[in-house]
Amino acid sequence: MRNRLIDAIVCGAAALFLLPAILAQTANQSKAAGSAPDLTGVWLIDQFQPNLFPKGNAPFTPWAEARFKLADPKVNDPNLACLPHGVPRIMFVPLPIEILQVPGKVLMYQEAGNQLRQIHLDRAHPKEFDSLTYNGDSIGKWEGDTLVVDTTGFNDITWLDHVGLPHTEALHVIERINRVDHDTLKDDFTIEDPKAYTKPWIAQQIYKLKPGWEIAEYVCDNNKYVYHGK
Amino acid sequence: MNRKRFILIILLIGLIMISRPLFAHHSVAEYDMTRFTSVKGTVTQFEWSNPHAYIHLDVKDDKGNVENWSAELASLGMLSRVNWRKDTVKPGDEITVFGNRAKDGRTFMRLDKIVFANGQELSAHVR
Repeated sequence: MRNRLIDAIVCGAAALFLLPAILAQTANQSKAAGSAPDLTGVWLIDQFQPNLFPKGNAPFTPWAEARFKLADPKVNDPNLACLPHGVPRIMFVPLPIEILQVPGKVLMYQEAGNQLRQIHLDRAHPKEFDSLTYNGDSIGKWEGDTLVVDTTGFNDITWLDHVGLPHTEALHVIERINRVDHDTLKDDFTIEDPKAYTKPWIAQQIYKLKPGWEIAEYVCDNNKYVYHGK
Repeated sequence: MNRKRFILIILLIGLIMISRPLFAHHSVAEYDMTRFTSVKGTVTQFEWSNPHAYIHLDVKDDKGNVENWSAELASLGMLSRVNWRKDTVKPGDEITVFGNRAKDGRTFMRLDKIVFANGQELSAHVR
């Protein structure tokens, strides 16, 4: 009888003690349900796709076809000069990417060149770009669990893949980034550039989570390859 | 026995295929990816650097002529993840390098693995 009383007192005290924590957790869970999915972590491509049109059926305009014929990965790949890969190519590089989520931004810290790709969640593209850039201007929004990223404002220096798909300043890339499961991230690309391609085309890259990995320093200070210009 | 050997070969081919993503800075277009070459020599320099590390070695032929070979490796971050260090190979080490030779015939290769004088092997692949 006495033991039962002690048990009841202990249980009651424990409940009172834990109540604030239980309530707080419930509040956190409802907050999490309304917040952005967690994409953070270090990710590495699952399969290397150097060539986005392995069958050679890219819908080139005559300009792009002529330009592609001049592309030689051993000679004039912009990346030989350690220039940025640009979007979308950076997302196909076989080096890890750490995704960080901060208020108003999703950040992609790339091991390749230690570049930081910024995806802005709190603004639109400017009406005009002051300068055109390698990585363009990326604007993201959440559609359910998918981060939809719209990127434009590119210079025309980069290649779209590792074998020389060209583009112009009219390039427009839309990505749909989704964490398929705990260890898997998927990025579906729609790429359009009416000056270089007769129709929009798609590509996809799967990434795997790399627990325990950190982005390493990558300073291109011993480059033996010479880029011979545009 | 034959079946075991067949499975082993399939596994090795698979390993080679999934190992391809190692090189990031440039494409593998300059290398003959259809065949492997191996040469044994004395290390003259190990460049522990980005975007690639390099092993340079002197290779003697039967007549005593010396050829200078170089092997290109991945970036330092990826090499560190598979246990390579800046002193993994040192000048004077006798090693065999195994990899894909440049298509243009230069004494230059994309490194696949090294074999130390004691027979110990070290892969240059990240996975």
